[in-house]
Parts: sequence; C-alpha cells; structure tokens
Amino acid sequence: MTTTADAPPSQSFHRSKLTADDVQRRLRYIVEKDRLVLDDLPRRFLETFAAILTHSNYRQVVDNYARITARCANCAPSCQIYQHTHAPHDVPCYRSNLLLEVYRRHFTMRGLITTRLLGQEYLTEDRVLEMASTFYDCTACRRCTLDCPLGLDHGLITHLGRYVLSELGLVPRALVISVREQLEGATHNTSAIPLPAILDTIEFLGEEIRDEKHREVQFPVDQPKRDFVFFPAVSDYLMEAETLMGIALTMHVAGDQDRWTIGSQYFDGINYGLFYSDWILERVLQAELDEARRLEATNILIGECGHASRSAKAFAKTFGGADAPPVVHIIEYTYRAYKEGRIRFRPGAITERVTYHDPCNIARTGWVVDQPRELLRAFCSDYVEMTPHGADNLCCGGGGGTVSVDELRPYRTGVTGARKAEQLRATGAKYIVAPCANCKKQLRELCEDHGLDMQVVGLHDLIYRALDLE
Amino acid sequence: MLDAWIDLARGPLLRLALLVMLLGLLRVIALQVYELVVAWRRAGDQYVPWRIVWRRLAGWIVPWRALRDGRRAPYSAASIVFHAGIILVPLFFAGHVAIWRSEFGVTLPAFSHATADVLSLAAVAALVWLLAARAANPARRHLSGLQDWMLPVGLLVCLGAGLLTSHPQLSPFDARAAYLVHLLTAEALLVFVPLSKLQHMALFWTTQASTELGWRFTPGAGMRVRATLGKEGQGV
Repeated sequence: MTTTADAPPSQSFHRSKLTADDVQRRLRYIVEKDRLVLDDLPRRFLETFAAILTHSNYRQVVDNYARITARCANCAPSCQIYQHTHAPHDVPCYRSNLLLEVYRRHFTMRGLITTRLLGQEYLTEDRVLEMASTFYDCTACRRCTLDCPLGLDHGLITHLGRYVLSELGLVPRALVISVREQLEGATHNTSAIPLPAILDTIEFLGEEIRDEKHREVQFPVDQPKRDFVFFPAVSDYLMEAETLMGIALTMHVAGDQDRWTIGSQYFDGINYGLFYSDWILERVLQAELDEARRLEATNILIGECGHASRSAKAFAKTFGGADAPPVVHIIEYTYRAYKEGRIRFRPGAITERVTYHDPCNIARTGWVVDQPRELLRAFCSDYVEMTPHGADNLCCGGGGGTVSVDELRPYRTGVTGARKAEQLRATGAKYIVAPCANCKKQLRELCEDHGLDMQVVGLHDLIYRALDLE
Repeated sequence: MLDAWIDLARGPLLRLALLVMLLGLLRVIALQVYELVVAWRRAGDQYVPWRIVWRRLAGWIVPWRALRDGRRAPYSAASIVFHAGIILVPLFFAGHVAIWRSEFGVTLPAFSHATADVLSLAAVAALVWLLAARAANPARRHLSGLQDWMLPVGLLVCLGAGLLTSHPQLSPFDARAAYLVHLLTAEALLVFVPLSKLQHMALFWTTQASTELGWRFTPGAGMRVRATLGKEGQGV
C-alpha cells in the first residue's frame, strides 16, 4: 500500500516557522539556503520519497528491509564512527531505521492505520533534519553490510536517504557547486579546470617524464578508436602529477602508448551522483559514455579514484545499455601488463616501509584487493599490511563525498577517521599508498591533524619510481 | 474445562494460527517475488551476480565470519543455538510429531525426548542471553522497539511452558495449564509471524537478491522523479 506518488506536488503547503538559519544550525555542512525547501518540509519529503519509490527500484528493497530488520546492532562494532563515539545514534541500523520507519509509517497500510489511530503524523521537521544530519555522518563505506545477519545494505539506505533529501535542498553546497560546474559549467569538470590548463599540464608532465626518465611519453588527446579512453579524478591534474606520470609511463613501457587517449570534450571521472542523487549519477555517467562513443573507444579506463571506478563499473551498462564500453580500473590494467611481462619492476626499488589503504569503493566487493598488493610486493622491500585490510578495510573517514566538504574536516579527522589514524600509526609506514583521490585528500588531512609523519601517495606514484626501464 | 480449552487450542486454534501464518507468509513472499521481478525488468543492467548472492546467504546460514570475530562471536553463537532450538524442536520433537500426524496427517521423523530437552534448554539459555545482551548493550537497547522485547518474552514463555509440559514432575503448575499456555503462546507467535520481524523466516532468503536489485537502477528514473516533482528543466 503506497501513497499516490504520481500526483503533482501540492501547491498549498503549511507555512512553517522553520528558517534557513534553523536548518543550517542543525547541520555540520553548509547548504545552499536559497535552494532549501522550508514550507511543510515533512510533506515535501514524503512526496519526494513517494516519487522515488514509484519510478525507481528502491521499493522492493526498502519494503524488505522495513519488514525484517532485527535491530540487533550487530553492525555497530564494524562501524568506525560508532567505534569512536559509542553513541547509539551512530549505529548503522539506527540510521537506516530512520528512513525505514518513515516507510513503515507512511507507505504501508499498517503504518497508515496506526498513524490515524494515534492521530499524529510520524514525520516531523525534526526527524527530517535528523536524517539530513546523520546521513552525512555516514561515509557510506558499507563495511557494516558485511556484518548484518539479515543482509541489509546500510550504504544503499544512506544513498537513498541522501537522494530524497537532496531534492529538498538538504545537500552539502560543496557537492552541488562541483556538480553544477561539471554538468552546466563552461569547463565540464568538478574542479573547474579549463581545457587549455589541462593541455598545458599534460604537456608539462610529459616534459617532466622526459627530464627524469629520458623517455618520450605522450598524453594522447582526442585520438579516435583507441582501446582506452581515460577518466581520472580531474583533481589529479592539479594535485596528483606523479600518479598521472606513473600511469603514462606504465602505458609507454607496456607498449600501449598508442592504445589510450584522453578526451577533450569530457575528461572528469568524478561522479558525486553516487553519493547523493540518481539523476546526477546518470547524467555524469552519460557524459563519460558520450565521450567514449565520440572517440569510438573500446574501453573506459578509470584512474586512481574509488568512487569514479565504482560508479562507472557498476552503472555503465545500466545507463549505457548492453553495448556500453567495458570499464577497466587502472590497477587492473597495470596488473595485467605486469602479469603478461610487458612491464617489470626493480626489486627493492622502494626501501622505506610501505602500507596500502584499500579504497572502499573498489575493495569492499573484492574487485581490486590482491592486484595492488602483488604489484607493491614486487618492488617494495618493506611492505606491511594494516589490520584489518582488503574487503574488510576501514574507510579513510572521508568517504561518501564528505571529503569534498571542507567544513566537515574536524568531524572527518576527529571522528570518522580517528580509527583510521590509529591504524595508520600502528603500521609505522613511511608511505601510505592510496589509489583514490578522495582517500588521498582525507588521509593527508588525517596525517596533519593527528601528527602522523607519513606520506600519502598513489600506487602509480611508486610505480613511476620503480619501473624497470632497462 | 481445561481439557476443553486444550482440545480447542490443539485443534481448531492451531489450524487457524498455522493458516494465518502460512497465508501471511505466502502473501509476503508473493509480494516480494513480484517486486523483485518488477525491479529486475526495470533494471538497466539485469545482471544479478547469483554466485555472490548465494555465497553471502550461505555466509549467514553458517556465520563463520561473525563466529571468528571476538566481539560478535557470543551473540552469533547464541543466535545459532536459539534458531536451532526453535526450528528443530517444533518440527521433530516426538510430541509435536504426534500432533502433526493426528491433526494434519503429516508424518515427520522424530528425535528423542532427551535431544528435544537439550535443544530446548539450550534455546532458552541462548534466548535469555540474547535478551540480556539487548538490555545490557546501550546501542541495542536504544534501537529496540516493543516487538524486540515482547517476541523473545513470548518465546521464553512458550519454551518454558513446553518444557514443563513434557516434564510434569518438575512443574509447580498443573501440567495441563502449562500445556495450554504452551499452545496459546505458540499460536500467538505463529499469528505474529507475518506481522512482525519474524517475517525474516521467509524474507531472509530474498534479502541478498533484493539488495543487489536495489543497486540495479532504472534508466531515466531520476528524470521521471524530477518531472513528478515539477522540476523538469531545473538545473543542478
């Protein structure tokens, strides 16, 4: 039994006393105040939720979860936020239950009867704002999902909750501004880097490689019919030069210089839609697919970025159809080249202690776990693991897009990343290898805020130093 | 008088309770399967990694991961013992087998009285432990609703009364009264199965597939949501 989801939104809402300042005071992140829905917030929430349930595939899963959740809190020990705060409201199941209870009370016959009998509406402004707050406390790392006896994916509920809230303007301004530039701005990327600046950067990187490695390495642009069209997190062009140099040099040494290209029309792998909105997820991915088709590329190659990889891998066929180009992660590519003997490393090239951080979006499902370790062991003489690691890894603390929200930094490094900081410290490593733009930013801030004398690098940063060029 | 009530509880009421449970669960399963098929048909990518789905499911039927984790092992072990008791004893205890045969014409193998006692006592102990764990853990306590307390209490009464029924020499009450309480609480629990979280006995088997299909999005759904909300053409 559901509410009428296809009805157009009502034009006559209750006038609320809620102000944009009230909303802002409840949230750790800054919202765009002029985009906030303030009038009759609970009713607008329900209309949005109903519309999403009607048009999407969430209904069956929400209905299932709402029926069976046992509220056993077995997920609590696996949540690094709960591990730090020990607050009941930080239990993943509690957070999910906020949305599931809205479904039970407002979208099921039993809930509607109960609400009528009790004569009170369940969903209040306060409850909406609690969700707006707590769904951005969660990093959507999905570690708790491994420990739910009934198989609930709290990451999915966090995504859905954020999706509903985003349609009410309850979404971090930082994410919205980036996506607006990516989809509607002149530069078509989240960092607002103009194409000429990108071209200058890659020309400079090529010169750097020539100076340092004495190899003529190209960053091909707009080459048609290549095997790979490359989408890194666009911020790598500004922040992670060595990662990009490592990738280009790997391609070169593997003999694949003429098999890849960067697109000039669209070159940003970042997809914040994965964190808060399905229509944004689809539009960003369509932009990637359009560029791959324009260039007639066989595969989409994603750089060192966890969420960019997952959003492309998991949804390319969803939004691009069965003939969408396959998605390859750069570590998969490099690993294959290594196993095929097309690249070699200098054993012991890195003598300092190295540890590897598993980005949740590529490791939680076991997709990219063993490959980077085998690569690292090939050239690191002192490689150590964190505990836990692999699919069971701890999140960097900045997942789910929260790392892009600067005002969340005290929370990210003080709460969500606190366990990660302990884990890093215990390794005694000099280098933390984190093949993800978001993880790198968060881990660097963690190191700063926790006084850790460690250097955060990408996997291809070290590969750049370790490749055997003889 | 008591015997008449027992006859009523053992016969028509038991049939009614089982019927309510079975029909309720059938409805739940039918709705879930229908929703899953709809979701699969609407999914842009209809690939479902069944091997992963089955592996995860199997991983919770025998939860090795949880049993290896020191923090979760006691809760998981108690949960296994509890589930073993409440699934096996109602089906295969000789006294119950006799009821299945006499009332429903169904013949099931029966295990010994001693086995039933061990399983039942272990289930009671596990249930008490689980209840205590819920009460003692602030997170669990905070999360718990009415049914999280009432269902275990109901089960405890049912299991306790069942043990007293099969060991009348130990019972401080009239064995027939204990039997009636056992029957009535069991029937109440059966009726509550499709109305409470006990639905997981049917839906547990579909949840992993449900989650996978939850992540299989529908192309264009986001824009249709925007259109429904009157936001067509609006920017980011």
